[in-house]
Amino acid sequence: MTLVDINDFSFKYLGAESLALKKINLQIEAGEYIVITGPSGCGKTTLCRTINGLVPHFHRGYIAGNVVIDGLNTRESKVPDLAPIAGLVFQNPANQLVTLNVEKELAFGPENLGVDPTEIRNRVDSLIETLDLEHLREKHPHEMSGGEQQRVAIAATLAMQPKILVADEPTSNLDPKSARVILKIISELNKEGMTVMLVEHRLDLVARNATRIILMNQGSIVADGPSREVLALNICDEIGVGIPKATQVYKQLKQKGIDLGTVPLTGEELAVLVEEVRSV
Amino acid sequence: MLLLNCLEGYNISFLEVFQYTRQESVIHQLDPRSKLALSITVAAITLLFLNIIPLLIIFLCMIPLLAAAKSLRRWATSMKGLSFLLVFIVIFNTLLSTVENPLSFSIALAIRLLALMSSFSIFFLTVHPDELSQALIQMKVKFEFAFAMSMAMRYVPTLAQEAYAIMDAQRARGVEMDKGNLLKRIRNIVPIIVPLIIVSIRRALSIAESMESRGFGASENRTYMEQLTFRKRDWAVLFVSVILLIVTIYLRFFTILPDWVLWGLPL
Amino acid sequence: MGSNGAGKTTLVKHINGLIRPNNGRVILDGTDTKYMSVAEIARVVGLVWQNPDHQLFLDSIKKEVTFGLKNIGFSDADANDMCNRTLVRLGLEGFAERSPFSLSGGERKRVALASVLATEPRVLALDEPTIGQDAKQKKKLIELLKELNTRGCTVICITHDIEFVIENFPRTIAMADGKIIADGSTHSVLTNDVVLERCSLTEPELTIAARSLNKRFSQVSNRLTLLSELEDAITELLGGI
Repeated sequence: MTLVDINDFSFKYLGAESLALKKINLQIEAGEYIVITGPSGCGKTTLCRTINGLVPHFHRGYIAGNVVIDGLNTRESKVPDLAPIAGLVFQNPANQLVTLNVEKELAFGPENLGVDPTEIRNRVDSLIETLDLEHLREKHPHEMSGGEQQRVAIAATLAMQPKILVADEPTSNLDPKSARVILKIISELNKEGMTVMLVEHRLDLVARNATRIILMNQGSIVADGPSREVLALNICDEIGVGIPKATQVYKQLKQKGIDLGTVPLTGEELAVLVEEVRSV
Repeated sequence: MLLLNCLEGYNISFLEVFQYTRQESVIHQLDPRSKLALSITVAAITLLFLNIIPLLIIFLCMIPLLAAAKSLRRWATSMKGLSFLLVFIVIFNTLLSTVENPLSFSIALAIRLLALMSSFSIFFLTVHPDELSQALIQMKVKFEFAFAMSMAMRYVPTLAQEAYAIMDAQRARGVEMDKGNLLKRIRNIVPIIVPLIIVSIRRALSIAESMESRGFGASENRTYMEQLTFRKRDWAVLFVSVILLIVTIYLRFFTILPDWVLWGLPL
Repeated sequence: MGSNGAGKTTLVKHINGLIRPNNGRVILDGTDTKYMSVAEIARVVGLVWQNPDHQLFLDSIKKEVTFGLKNIGFSDADANDMCNRTLVRLGLEGFAERSPFSLSGGERKRVALASVLATEPRVLALDEPTIGQDAKQKKKLIELLKELNTRGCTVICITHDIEFVIENFPRTIAMADGKIIADGSTHSVLTNDVVLERCSLTEPELTIAARSLNKRFSQVSNRLTLLSELEDAITELLGGI
């Protein structure tokens, strides 16, 4: 079923000179893993905030078109109504942890929504186990590393049991190892059925797991399709999107007249393709 | 409490007595509300007397409570840190006050300060900031206010770190903070304060987005995972506090106090 | 490069005197820095921080850029000239009278960079300049750094971004636990597994590809780092089909 249905949606921030989103048309089915990427200022951050209602309720502005999330239109439904459906994880880990310990943080969302205390306790305990947060239980946010903080932030969002997890550049402020851990968690969540919408620059890490990649530029969607299709397009270079190196090699070789067949997304895939072509 | 993080390098050790430490003790396990009642009662009682003996009695009664809270050593070090201030109070009051027995009066004042601090320290040493927040909420303080208080505490170390980073950034541009006359030094605060305010505002907006996304302010019927409940021992503490207060008020205002209570240093 | 807490920022802060050594010396261009104040060192060493908002506080970009210049002792006239030159260089010409707070994050980063570059430092250190930057912005940054370097400026970059380093920096210093564990050509330092492990770094994409190829075709070196090298290796393997 279509979980996210964005129809001809445009948005201009109050006081801005140009549209942040221009006639966006995007449908996301349950269970998909969507990766959104594009140069700075292309509207990907605004798009994330459209999913859970921050646009237009928190960020005022002018809207046109409709965004329907699991049957609820964001024009009418407020952010708290959409919170149990769409969970948002942000770029800065420290700004998402507002309490003094992990338990309270995880309980924060459900408490706000008026969930039964025993149920909250169950959710908190089960999330601490699933996301391996036991050793962090009593720690103050300031004592945690960026990667640990972001793990807690994800858990805090999952505590509301959303149907879609939207993550806006969750790894940008993290070191490479923590970034991989977070992306692995997200990809595992998707394998278990969570619909995921991820804004990410490091395409080499997520291209394989994504069901679709969406390229944005200056407020519009310029490409939308499976990773191997989209990353092979020339528009990636035109707008300045960093594609996986293996894909770059594929493209360069193609220009020289060497066609490897399928588009590789990782170094390993590239090697396999070379082997196949050679043995022919 | 967490203010201590900001005051690094300054020897204000007497503030330690207001900092929570996790301990397994009878006092720690009491509901914060009963402890609040106890602390306020003791504070009220100390304010009723200005003579050495009664204040000394009250002060000495704090000691077993602090021992029960397993915080005697911390309290003792803080009291030591306070000693300079106490001597200062005694000397100045003796020299400047107009009561008939100034030395006795000054010493009584000093003991009163000690007793007051000790009584509130029992509270702050044994109540976790989250418990305090929850206690306030259950005493009908609006959630937003109690939460704003705990959020402020949560962000103190983060803000302190930000302030240091800003100082480093501006020093690296040639801002010299330790030079110049008083006026110049005050002007040099501007390159620190302005970025700090801006950064804090940006941070606040980011935090607000995250909180809003998790339903903050959604419903009047907010639930709480951990509720504080009064147990028998809490009622006992509350009962004892009230009785103590009534008895002391009666003794102080409605009876003639015997001479030994009113004893003062002959000076 | 190095893992969190390895001491990278601490080390760089010694270069401009924000931190003074407990033991040993820091010698800047022949002079021991213990004889120089931070402000004096700021004439020679420029430090660009990760968060531009940590330094922006004036109400116009022009004032912001000339601030550092005046602190160091340049006259108003000189400061204005240098400011204008720098603004043009960084593509900020029309912005002189605008308030830095009205700009986007990326633009503010450029303003912060401008205010440091205006002093024409001989040593430029940058703390995590690529975070939050898209591919185009990174390209512009590296072009600027290369231009500065050609003109004699020493460039030091603290970063986690291994791809950025491997494509652009000839020398890499790897740190772990407060020590320097490797210092040499980027190519050899960043293809060393021990270094990568201790610095919590992950293999560069192209090296992963090289290793996969090397497993199947031993004539391909498993320590390739450049796109062109990989291209050539594959072209050779496929016999120029």
